[in-house]
This record gives sequence, C-alpha cells and structure tokens, in this order.
Amino acid sequence: MIRRALRQGLRGFLLTWLTLSTLFLATRAATDKATLIQSTLEGNARLSGLPEQLALTQQLLHRYNLDRPLFYLSWQPAAGWQWHGSHNQYHQWLLQLAQGSLGYSYQQDAPVIHLLGRALRYTLPLTMLAAGLSLLLAIQLALWVSCRPTARSLMLAVLHALQSIPLVLLTVCLLLLLANPDVVAWFPAFGLGDAETEMNWLQQPGYLLYHLTLPVLSLVLVSLPALTIQLDGALRQELSQKYIVTARAKGASRSRAVRQHALRNALLPSITLLTELLPSLVAGSVVVEVLFALPGMGRLLAEAAATQDYPVLVGAAGLTALVRLLAQALADMLYQMADPRIRLSQ
Amino acid sequence: MRAAALYTRQPRHWWLAVSWLTVVCLAALLAPVASSPPDFAQLSQPPFLNARHWLGTNAQGLDVGQALLQGARTVVVVSVPATLLTFLLGSIMGSLAGFLQNNRWQASPQLLLSILLPLASSIFIGPRWLVAQLLLLPCLATLLWLGGCQVFRGWRGVPVPVDTLVMGMISLLDSLPLLILVLIAAAVQRPSLSGLLLLLSLTCWTTPARLMRAATLRVKALPYTEAAEAAGLPATQIIRRHIWPNTWQVLLTRFPLTVAMLIGFETTLSFLGVGLPPEVPSWGRLLAGIRQSPTDWWLLAWPGLALVLTILSLQLLARRK
Repeated sequence: MIRRALRQGLRGFLLTWLTLSTLFLATRAATDKATLIQSTLEGNARLSGLPEQLALTQQLLHRYNLDRPLFYLSWQPAAGWQWHGSHNQYHQWLLQLAQGSLGYSYQQDAPVIHLLGRALRYTLPLTMLAAGLSLLLAIQLALWVSCRPTARSLMLAVLHALQSIPLVLLTVCLLLLLANPDVVAWFPAFGLGDAETEMNWLQQPGYLLYHLTLPVLSLVLVSLPALTIQLDGALRQELSQKYIVTARAKGASRSRAVRQHALRNALLPSITLLTELLPSLVAGSVVVEVLFALPGMGRLLAEAAATQDYPVLVGAAGLTALVRLLAQALADMLYQMADPRIRLSQ
Repeated sequence: MRAAALYTRQPRHWWLAVSWLTVVCLAALLAPVASSPPDFAQLSQPPFLNARHWLGTNAQGLDVGQALLQGARTVVVVSVPATLLTFLLGSIMGSLAGFLQNNRWQASPQLLLSILLPLASSIFIGPRWLVAQLLLLPCLATLLWLGGCQVFRGWRGVPVPVDTLVMGMISLLDSLPLLILVLIAAAVQRPSLSGLLLLLSLTCWTTPARLMRAATLRVKALPYTEAAEAAGLPATQIIRRHIWPNTWQVLLTRFPLTVAMLIGFETTLSFLGVGLPPEVPSWGRLLAGIRQSPTDWWLLAWPGLALVLTILSLQLLARRK
C-alpha cells in the first residue's frame, strides 16, 4: 500500500515537473524581451520619464528573470553548443519554484502567487457551489425517476436536449433573459457588486449569493445532464441485479431498495468523475467568468492569454495540474473505500 | 432491399437529424468564398423586414445569413478533419499500446544503434550543414544496420515499453483541461486554420487511444488472435487483419460525439476570441457580436439555433447506431 502510494506520488511529481517545464520553456522561448520592456515602460508613466532607461531595462529584465540564457545548453551559430552551467533562467525558475515562488507577472504589478490567491477567493465559492448543487440535483433526479418510467423518458429527452447546448450559448441566453432590463432584470448582469459597501457579516453571504446565482445556474445546467444520465444508467443496471429482488422479497419498500441498496453501488462509477470535476473547479469556468465579469481564475487565465502574461499562465496551469493529480489520488482512495473488492493493478 | 430495410428500421427523428446535417454540408459547399462588403447603410437591421438582408445584419453591417453559410463551412472544414486526424492518431497509438504492451516488441541492437547514433550525431552537429546531414546520416544508419546484422547475430533484443510510453503521454496531455491547454498554445502563437486543426488533433487523441487500447486488449485475449500469433504472423499483419476488424467499431459511435464536441469547443474559442484568425467567419464569432449589442436578439437566435440543431443531430446519430 505504502509502496503503491510512493510510486504514484513519484509519478505525479514527474508528470507535474514535465508539464510545467515544457510550458515554461515554450512560453519563455516565445517571450519577446524588447516589446515586453517597452510596454512595461510605456504602461508606467512614472518610469518612462526617467533618464536612466538602460539601467531601468536591466532592472526589469532581472526582475522578470530574463537577463540570462534560457537553458543549460544553448546553440550559438559561431561556436556550436555552449554550456551555461546553473546561470540560466530554467535553473533559477526551478529554485524559485522549490521555494514556493512562481515569479512576477509581466502585466500586473504583483507576484503571480498573490494574483492566483486573489482569483481563487472568487472562483472557489462559485465552482464549489455549482459542483455540490449539480451532484445533489443529479442524485435526487435519478432517484426520483427510478420508479417512474414516464417521467424518466421525458427527463432523459430534456436532458439530452440540454446536453447539446454549449456553455457559451446557455450563459448568453440566461444573461439576456434574466439580467436584461428589456426582459426581466431579476439578477445583476456582471461583477460581484461593491466590496466596499458597508455590510455586516450576515448580509454579505446573501449579497454574494445574489450575484452568483446566474453563474452558478449556468454551470449547474451544463454539468447536470452528463451526471444524471450516467447515474441513471448505473442505477438501472443495479436495479436489475438479484440482490434487489432479495431486498424486495425481504419486505423492503421500493424506495428503500433504491436508496439503501442500489444507490451505493450505482455511485461507484461517479467517483471517477471527481478527477474531471476538481481541476475544472480550480480552473474555474473560463466562459462563465469572462461573461459575468467575475474576477476569478478563469478570467485571470483568459486575460493572461490575451496579454501574453506567461508567468501567470504557467502558474495557473501548474496549479490546475497539481489539483488534478491530487484528485486522481483521492478518487483511487475513495474507490478502494467504496468497494474493497477492487484491487488496483500495479 | 437493404436500403428499404434501413429506411424502415430508423425512426423518424433519425431522418430529421440526417437531413439537417445534409443541409449544413450543402451550405458549407454552396457558401460564397468571398464575403460581400459590409452594408454601412443598414447596421443592426432586424430580420424579415429588409428585402436584402432577410436574416438581419450585425452592428458592423455584415449580413447574418451569409455569415451563417460561411460559418457552416468553417464548422465542416474544422471539425470533421480534426476528428479524422484525432481518430487516426488515437487508434494507431491505442492499438500499438494495447498489442505491443511493454515487452512484445524487442528492438534488436542494430536497430537501436542505427537510430540512436545518427540522432545523437545530428544533435551534436546542431542546425548547420543541413543538406549534408540529410544525405549522409541516412547512409550512416543503413551502414550501421547492415553491419549490425552481421555483428549482433544471435543477440537478444531490448524490450521497448510502448504501453508505458503511450500511457505516460496520455496522462501528460490529460493533466490539463483542454480549454487551458489551447488558451496557452494560442497565447504563444495565434493559430491559423491548419494550426488549429493540428492543435486540436494533437490534444484530443487521448480518448480514442484509450478506447482502442481497451478494445485491443479484449480482442488480443481471444483464441483466434492467439492462433494467429501461434501461426507466426508478423505483428503488423495481426493488427491489421485480425485485430482492427473487431476494434474499429468502438470508434464508430464515438465519431459523431467527437465532431459535436469539437464544434462546441471551436465555438467557445471563437467566442472568446482566441480560436480562428479574425478573417475566418464562424458561428462563435457571430454569437460574440451579442456582447457589443445586447438588444440584437437575432445575433443570438440564428447561430445559436444552427449550433444546437447540429450538435443535437450528431448526438442522435451516436445514440441510434
């Protein structure tokens, strides 16, 4: 057991390191130093007037860790391969990473780790709420239709239709229907309201909830069909097993047989969905956050991609990859706990 | 006779789905190549009121109907080839991983030598004298191979862990959600049409590869495959003649679903403004117009309807087969 965990941990560590290194090297190789320095200097009016432009450029390059060769080896047209030793960007970045620093954002005047933390504070409530709600709803729906064949076929048809609507379309529709002064303006169209408004601790969650209703609703509507259809299929398969007949013969009511006997087994395949769900929790829903202008992870990612803010991109991607690995480990553990018969292959 | 049987077997909504997909394909074929210039006299015209633009115009004066037709072509041109490429790559990787496993393919020493030595020397020389390298290194490889055949006669090969390699690549690609991967790739280099195609197929091949690996493992354990192996057939022939005919159906039901997934994904990318280059018309870009002019409902209705109908039809096809 411990050897297995160690092996898996090592494998996960290797995978994360490979992913991050590839992303770092690819994005750093694509960074255009001259444009970056120019845009930073022009963006900051305080800096552009100063006479010591050269020294300033050097300082900026040092801050972004760009003032040295990219990798241990580099190709010089005249001299062939050249060895740079540990004086290179990649080595420096790895050292910083080991100390828990992800570098400095190119565009915003802050370390990447602060930006990520700030974004997570908005993303986690949104996605946790959406994930929890859709799981609960899926279980309730599947249970409710398990002994109602007419309702079941109707619900499946609706869910299949819902599944064919992309998230973008669904979100725009909700936004235009429920947050539009021309139709009904029940919900705010964007943002999280003024954080500075005076509110006591009792009002604040309600206020946040009010602003998060539409984003959460669109996320739930998109993730619900797949979850429910899968759970419904699993439940039906379990209900045709003989142990259900036994339970019914012993006098358990229909709903008790479903809830106490079949559901536990039917939930087993849904555990694998955890590995999909948790990384998307952290990555946030890029589309929803962009459309509702929420300052979360997804919007941070989209803006970083649009402005080529590579340190932020690599940091966010690394965080997502890490969460995915943890989720995989968690799913394996839950699987073993839920069904001790399963022996995971080495 | 068979056509008649097919006709009676399929339910009516199957035929509706097929006819809608045919309409989309026809629109893709018949769409005008060059877009007509924007009509600045009629910006944001509602549909059905205007004789010239009967599906309306957007805030830039572009005809929505024409953009829809051209968007249909983009949908077909991007999603179908991307799916085909994805499946080709995935099925090759998956069946190789499933069949060869970790010890089936034993690379002979001369093969390893004739691949690794020229490769190492090419890396050492670096990017100079390219023509000479292209001419000389294959010669070196052939010489090494021929010499090695004599020298290493009777040596045992080195097992190549194909399965571990392929599964490692899959978990590496799967460690990031698709949208984030494409966002990063688009930030480094904004993709062209063919670049997007390549990017999509290089990132999406993991699911078909997984499916094919599982199917290959199942078929490989059947007695007739063992008989073929016992008869001494080469691996390529066993895969092509004995394993493929029983595994490729796995991908058949997956095909419409993957096309639908890619259509939705491409729309999302275009909507966010990171996908196709701006001069390529697409449904997602048309939809994005609603963000500038929220009162123009027709910018949402037509592309949205086309999108939902297409994806719904594809999902119906996948369920009925």
